[in-house]
Amino acid sequence: MDSKSLVLVALFTAIIVVLGLIPPIMVAVIPVPIHAQSLGVLLAGIVLGARHGALSVLLLIALVAIGLPVLSGGRGGLSVFLSPTAGYLLGYLPAAWMTGWAADRVHDLPIRGWKVLAGLLAAAILGVLITHVVGIAWLIAYVGLSPLEAIVGDLIFVPGDLVKAALAAYVGRIIHENFGRRLIAS
Amino acid sequence: MTAAPGAVLERLPATTKLAALFCISVLLFLTTSPSLLGAAAGAILVACLLLCREALVQWLKAWPLLLTIGIFALWKAFADGYHEALVLLLRLGTLSLVATVVTVTTSIRQFIDTITRLARPLEKLGIGNAHDIGLAIGLVMRLIPDVRQRYLAVVDAHRARGLPLRPSTLFVPMIIGMLKGADDMANAIDARGIRADTRTEKKVGHG
Amino acid sequence: MDIVFANASAKFANRNVLEPLSIRLTEHRIGIIGLNGSGKSTFARMINGLVFPHAGSVVTNGFETRQDAERVRSIVGYIFQNPANQIVLPVVRDDIALGMKRLRLGTREVEQRVSDVLARLGIGHLAERRAHELSGGEVQLVALAAVLATSPDIVIMDEPTNQLDLRNRNMVTRTIRDLVEDVIVVTHDLALLANFDRVLLFHEGRILADGPAENVIARYEELVQ
Repeated sequence: MDSKSLVLVALFTAIIVVLGLIPPIMVAVIPVPIHAQSLGVLLAGIVLGARHGALSVLLLIALVAIGLPVLSGGRGGLSVFLSPTAGYLLGYLPAAWMTGWAADRVHDLPIRGWKVLAGLLAAAILGVLITHVVGIAWLIAYVGLSPLEAIVGDLIFVPGDLVKAALAAYVGRIIHENFGRRLIAS
Repeated sequence: MTAAPGAVLERLPATTKLAALFCISVLLFLTTSPSLLGAAAGAILVACLLLCREALVQWLKAWPLLLTIGIFALWKAFADGYHEALVLLLRLGTLSLVATVVTVTTSIRQFIDTITRLARPLEKLGIGNAHDIGLAIGLVMRLIPDVRQRYLAVVDAHRARGLPLRPSTLFVPMIIGMLKGADDMANAIDARGIRADTRTEKKVGHG
Repeated sequence: MDIVFANASAKFANRNVLEPLSIRLTEHRIGIIGLNGSGKSTFARMINGLVFPHAGSVVTNGFETRQDAERVRSIVGYIFQNPANQIVLPVVRDDIALGMKRLRLGTREVEQRVSDVLARLGIGHLAERRAHELSGGEVQLVALAAVLATSPDIVIMDEPTNQLDLRNRNMVTRTIRDLVEDVIVVTHDLALLANFDRVLLFHEGRILADGPAENVIARYEELVQ
């Protein structure tokens, strides 16, 4: 890995952490506060691509494992991996990868303008989907909720995450227009 | 600080502690009896009081996590009855405490060394160099305050000009500025020979 | 120092940033001035191999920059324009120690060197500071300390007093003046070059003037009229 990629991976992990420091906001009709942290995960995938986006999340997970309070709410330490919502954190990894993969495919296509935005939005929504699937699976396997209970509980957080997906696609497109694919050598 | 007998835990290798955590997790999931789980919880609690009081303190400090467990236990109580709820409470409560013990008795340096060692096999897969892991972690810690300052600066600039905070005007300048700094940092890492023992890319003769 | 450019040129996107140049640098302190885009920064970057010559060669203290890139980087310390980006770890002391990792010294010796170099630059009190808490001048000096700790033969500084207030600028100027290592400074700050042995004036990719500081600076001022 060249040094530029290494720094960019670390940079996006830092972005994910800082987004977690932003106090959660209430938005219109959505009953739960929205944390900005997962936005960082989607951005890492969209901007850095599959491999480096996933590495950013892996680095985040390592920081949590080490005990540093890098998750929203100042959470950190191994106990996070044993909490009911650990699935969502672990889900960030495949989510970043898939979003990155999908975003790479979008950027390879000879399309411009709103089509790119739509493609990136699809990529981001894919990431949100994966995060929630893993989160729900964890709720069922580890917490012992029934599938129905898990899905219902999860649903509340979906609208907020869709808003973040839209944001990620929007920002990702502007960055793509300014930097193209020159960001990462590989 | 841990009491003198607690120093035993700190001297244990990190991999041993992690393995123990894993084993305890498996064991707690093998039983669904609240009395067995309760006994285990009690034993671990006592062990903590004797060997690692700091872990108890940290565990209680992380009250949002405990609250989350409590909420799920409550849900379980309504949905499936008290038996299930108790099992959940005891299991997750105990595991989070044990995990906290491991976190508290292991230094950052030890964690990084352990992760580096565990990542060696991944080197073969070509994912990267294990030595880079320590550097990557250091880089993130170095960059977090910078990213935060940049975020605050952009937000302040908006407030000063009375502009509404929109994603395009907030995130984009933030990220673009940081991308430029990243370039400099990468050049500096190469110029200072910090990754001299890993293979780095050669630069072709561009200005 | 003994730096030899043999018909070395540099291109960027098919444009000649530096015209083929042959020159030998042996002085103790050399200044490089010129307008933005004159090629002066590229010239400096070719000395430690950050940029390879498109044609010709650059040999720094006996090592060719392309073939012996690692050796060149180990004997030349480079301070970039935004030295904050050069500090790679959060705590000053750790960052300086990291730069010495390739020297494979013992822990005690590393600690000693860190203290020594900080004391040498008068910034011992910054050892435990975090990088983002440092002032502009302090960042320059910390970056310089990190470079000096690896015992380079030559130190190259790119616009060291660029965004500093007067006090910090004086502090840095004094520090550079007191360095025993060979020094090459790219700068807009002409006062900085007061006692330099030789100054090169770059203009549109070529060396327009080359000689004692006074003369070359006068030529520069003429150019800017």
